[in-house]
Amino acid sequence: MAHGKTEKCEQDCYKGGTVLFMYLTGLGIRYWLMFSRYQSIIANHIEISTPLNSWKRVSEGLCLQSKGINPYEGDLLHEAPITILFYKVLTQWWKLDIKTIFLAFDAGTAVVLYFVAKKYMFHLFIEQEENKKQYALNSKEFLLSGSDFVNSPVFVASAFLFNPYTIFNCVGQSTVVFHNFFIALFLFCMLSGSVILSVLSLAICTMMSFYPIVLIIPLFLYSNGIYKSKFRAILTPILFIATLAAFITISIGLSNGTAFMKNVYGFILTVPDLQPNIGLFWYFFTEMFDHFRDLFISSFQINATVLYLIPLSVKFRKDPFLLTFAILCLISVFKSYPCLGDVGFVLSLLPCFIHLFNYSQQGFLVGVIFLITTALGPILWHLWIYSNSANANFYFGVTLAFAIAQIFLVTDILFAYLKREFCLNHGKERKIDGKDALLILE
Amino acid sequence: MGLFTPIFVAFCASLAHSQLDFEFPKNGHTNNWAVLVDTSRFWFNYRHVANVLSIYRSVKRLGIPDSQIILMIADDMACNPRNPRPATVFNNANQHINVYGDDVEVDYRGYEVTVENFVRLLTGRLPPGTPRSKQLLTDEGSNVLIYLTGHGGDGFLKFQDSEEITSQEMADALEQMWQKQRYHEIFFMIDTCQAASMYERFYSPNILAVGSSLVGEDSLSHHVDSSIGVYIIDRYTFFALEFLENVDQHTKKTMGEFLNVCPKRVCISTVGVRRDLFARNPHQVPITDFFGSVRPVEVISNVTLVPLVTNETKTKPVAQPTKKYRYIPPLVNFNSIV
Amino acid sequence: MFLPTLLVLIFSPFGVLTSKPDKFTEELFIKPLYSDQLYVHFHFATKWDTNPEQETFRHTHIFPRALGEIVERYNVQELHVSLTGGLWRYETWGYPILDAAPGAEVWAWFKDTTEDVDQNWKLLASSLSGLLCASLNFIDKANSIRPEYTFKPKGVFSGSNLNSSFVRYSSLPREIVCTENLTPWKKLLPCESKSGLASLLNSGYIHNTRYHSVAIHMRPVCRDSSCEFVSLELQQTVSLVYDYLILGTKNWSFRKLFGQGLMGRCPLAETSTIYIDTTSNTSVPFQLTPSPDDYVTSIRGGHVNTFAKYVVRPYAMSLNANFLGKESVLLNAPPSLHANQYITGYGQERGGIVTKIYNNHWSHLDVVVLQNIPWYVPIYLHTLKIEVNGLEAEPLKIRYIPGRQRERPYHLELLLKLPARSVTSVSVDFDYVFLKWQEYPPDANHGFYIGSAIISANLPLARNFTGLPQDGSTIADSFNASRSGYLVQVRTENMVITLPTPDFSMPYNVICLACTVVALAFGPLHNITTKRLVLTVKDNEKLIVKIKNKIVKVLTDRRGGEEKQSVQ
Repeated sequence: MAHGKTEKCEQDCYKGGTVLFMYLTGLGIRYWLMFSRYQSIIANHIEISTPLNSWKRVSEGLCLQSKGINPYEGDLLHEAPITILFYKVLTQWWKLDIKTIFLAFDAGTAVVLYFVAKKYMFHLFIEQEENKKQYALNSKEFLLSGSDFVNSPVFVASAFLFNPYTIFNCVGQSTVVFHNFFIALFLFCMLSGSVILSVLSLAICTMMSFYPIVLIIPLFLYSNGIYKSKFRAILTPILFIATLAAFITISIGLSNGTAFMKNVYGFILTVPDLQPNIGLFWYFFTEMFDHFRDLFISSFQINATVLYLIPLSVKFRKDPFLLTFAILCLISVFKSYPCLGDVGFVLSLLPCFIHLFNYSQQGFLVGVIFLITTALGPILWHLWIYSNSANANFYFGVTLAFAIAQIFLVTDILFAYLKREFCLNHGKERKIDGKDALLILE
Repeated sequence: MGLFTPIFVAFCASLAHSQLDFEFPKNGHTNNWAVLVDTSRFWFNYRHVANVLSIYRSVKRLGIPDSQIILMIADDMACNPRNPRPATVFNNANQHINVYGDDVEVDYRGYEVTVENFVRLLTGRLPPGTPRSKQLLTDEGSNVLIYLTGHGGDGFLKFQDSEEITSQEMADALEQMWQKQRYHEIFFMIDTCQAASMYERFYSPNILAVGSSLVGEDSLSHHVDSSIGVYIIDRYTFFALEFLENVDQHTKKTMGEFLNVCPKRVCISTVGVRRDLFARNPHQVPITDFFGSVRPVEVISNVTLVPLVTNETKTKPVAQPTKKYRYIPPLVNFNSIV
Repeated sequence: MFLPTLLVLIFSPFGVLTSKPDKFTEELFIKPLYSDQLYVHFHFATKWDTNPEQETFRHTHIFPRALGEIVERYNVQELHVSLTGGLWRYETWGYPILDAAPGAEVWAWFKDTTEDVDQNWKLLASSLSGLLCASLNFIDKANSIRPEYTFKPKGVFSGSNLNSSFVRYSSLPREIVCTENLTPWKKLLPCESKSGLASLLNSGYIHNTRYHSVAIHMRPVCRDSSCEFVSLELQQTVSLVYDYLILGTKNWSFRKLFGQGLMGRCPLAETSTIYIDTTSNTSVPFQLTPSPDDYVTSIRGGHVNTFAKYVVRPYAMSLNANFLGKESVLLNAPPSLHANQYITGYGQERGGIVTKIYNNHWSHLDVVVLQNIPWYVPIYLHTLKIEVNGLEAEPLKIRYIPGRQRERPYHLELLLKLPARSVTSVSVDFDYVFLKWQEYPPDANHGFYIGSAIISANLPLARNFTGLPQDGSTIADSFNASRSGYLVQVRTENMVITLPTPDFSMPYNVICLACTVVALAFGPLHNITTKRLVLTVKDNEKLIVKIKNKIVKVLTDRRGGEEKQSVQ
């Protein structure tokens, strides 16, 4: 870290003890909820457990497997064979308590995220120092201070540890906990320049939920930045594809056939189960006319994966981490079976962009919508499903608002980034020929 | 085959023989079919089932066999738990005609009554394996009576409160029937609100259409049976049935008279008629052309039967049993499993 | 003297027919149940000495050709169809002659030469729907299972080992049964309903009962005891349970039950008999008029039953039963095995299915439990819990084929050993699923049916048992038919769940709203990625001022227009 600023940091920065206490508290909350009677209530909420990630379905798959029935013959299990093997090893061979495993992985994610933020802040600092000369003269006040650099990782960790979304996600035993861990690992490996490890963790994530496949682009951009050699950078996607192929081969071997492809990736892509979740797919495809189903499914999936990928990659090629964040954000809004764990993970990355907060305009609005929808969602669900006094439209309205909040958040952050860049390069004066001027997109 | 050959030969022989002294009726039809559809579900629509069963009873009485009547009923009123007298449907508060009867064959019932099935039935585009009783096996000599009842609006008829057929779809289905030579003449009869809107789009020839109400008018029910607790028949069908009850197979009554059934003072709605597509004068069309199955039959005498060359197939010799037959124990042997 | 001679003259042609290879018997079995009901069972059996493997059904004599053609076309070895209204109450009524689940139930064995069993099964069901005016055409792969243990062939079998890929079972619990099903069923009988016992089947009366079941059972049977040749047997049955409360009296007669008397026998029938179970006469005595032709005593499985026998003659007869004196209170020991089934849980998110099986016998019973659970009720096998008298137990064997949405139901078959005098509960959890809006039936809020579970067992005692032995085809065959076990296949109640429904009037709104949200992301992201930030001169006019100016402008324009109009 910046040695010149250590004195100042003495006052503003958090001490190691505080950080440790924070971790212990975060885990304590999880531990308490995990072993309380609220655990099953939380696990049963559709915002937490989707068909794709509920532990109930994993147990069903493990149970079927132990009885000699191919779990992919039915359509309750949507986990890849390789992850099923992973769970099997953990629970049946090592006989670990499943709740402890979830706690451990969530704690692991929090730790990795801390280092992710630290790495990113270091990158920002280097970049800031390198580019200082190019910045406009009066842009000093926009630069990050030492305490920002030091505190940001603590904020990230606390945002993960005390975010109710991630807490519920962990307590609800959604397999997104493992997914998040590997995504965090991927981010860390990417930022520390370890291509092989990042490719490996990205391949695991892709096997688990398919959508992270698009993250290969930021990884490519990053390795491009590190290696300065086109050839080695191009090796990254090739390595990724090879790893993925190896994983698929292993999966085929594990499940004695390709039935899992239909059950896992076919399921994610064609959305046959219309159980409500916090995403946009369920009601849309419940009400869709059959003739147009395929058209809309393909356009929604394109929207969730490649539609924004190329323009964003071009625009934010200088900051692949921000690009990764934006893509993760968009995936968590537009994926077919999103859950709060995805959203919580993305939200906990937010303090990495502490330098953009000054430029964001919709923080209040987004925050309020998050609060309202988080409160209203379960209430309206209960009214619809248990009291029969509301109907699907109410819950749909809440999920729409929730999606809108997330969209506002990501567009706001991206916009803030552009504005900060502009201000750094042009100074804070917004005047043309002495007249007040507006900053607009043209 | 053995049975049909001599008849066929005799028929050909008679044709050749009697060409001079007998002529087939010109422009006549050769067979009669009826498609009777109730599109309403739920107990409070009892009257629609009573409507369609009333017509069913009449056409059956006038000679159309069950095999040529396609009856579609969207809900079970007869054995409905709310029906105080199971296996009956009455169209009159006096309960003197059980229109459901003791001999009824419903071809499409319950969830099978859908727009798709109805249009498939008319146009003959049915999935393989459809039994004969669910097919409209008409030809270019068939007179078809189509009777629809249910809840309608301007330009559509609802099926079971969940989907609807539009008047354009209806007209296109009939046109397809015409192009496939699936009818000779159609009498289209509909008892719904704004019934006239359903036949306004027709553009195929030889269709005579009547609807219980004009566009903008409601079709009304006739009366309540207090023991059943719901309206039990609609006005138009009630008076149409009253007319038909006085008709027998040897009647001289015409379609023209039938079209005048239920004047506005009793029906409250105006009965709409469309006759521009119909080539004949309804007043010269016997009512049995649509509601019955009466055909001129000429008894031909002095027919010489050509002896049939029969190549009698011997019955197959009973194969000697080569297999050993046995009964299987009906339940698995538990001792063999443990 | 003249009349019998005349009859002999009239029926002499039929006398010749008995030498034909097929024979038809009609029987009516009446049994007062221990509770306040009367069990009436019509049993029509046709046995045709033909080889079903070679028979083409081009020509049939008594056997219904319409059915024969279907059977031949779809390569059916054995066919069992039942259409039932109401639930058979095993606990109080004992066992029926033929078990049937509420609604429609079909199961069939196909010949082992069948290539595409699923296709044949679908087409068979479709053809049967035309034959019986029932919606059996809704049977397809998505609601059919191939039971491994429960449905063995009832008839003879020639192969070496059974292959359950040739059996199919399906039930339509929602199916209603009314006159329209009885009418075509009657037309399959040789005398239709014109004469014979079938003329008693007057729909207005028989549908006013607690339970009515119409069934067709076709199977190959042994022609004789050596079983070298095979015959084709067809059993057509109607089972009714009258309730004395509905009848208004405990004295029953043909006129009360059927609305008319019997107008003689079916001339084509070899025998035409009426049996009335008089076993209960010791406790609830009733007087039969006219008095029976004969009494039959049957000792079966350690239980003695007496039956009054009437031979139906070719002239009109009626039958009256009058209850005599005060009835003594009768405690009927419940049958050895009965079961029921129910749904647990509340709300429309998660639930459970519980099947309770009662073994009242003094020794253990081996049972097979078959559950055919529709695909829209996904069950979790790991939640399967078997409790015997409150203690958890393991099944001897589980056969489970998980379902797939819109493709295949969940098939669960359990082999259980029930201890003596025990209550066993089998429970499994399920989720409520959300369907596409067009998959909901028109009356979506009526609910979705789950068919009954089938619990099969070989009872060691024939108490309360009236079923036919496997080698018998008539009621008379069941007298003195002691066997090593008596097969019962107890059917439980149907269940209804209400799946959560979407708003059926909303498709356009939902499509528009969801697309708007997508557009909300697309717009800004498009701007961010394709445009760049620039400074432009501020327009000093504030937004409010802008809007105000616009409104004023519009208003003045309109006023101007109106003025112009008034001028014209």
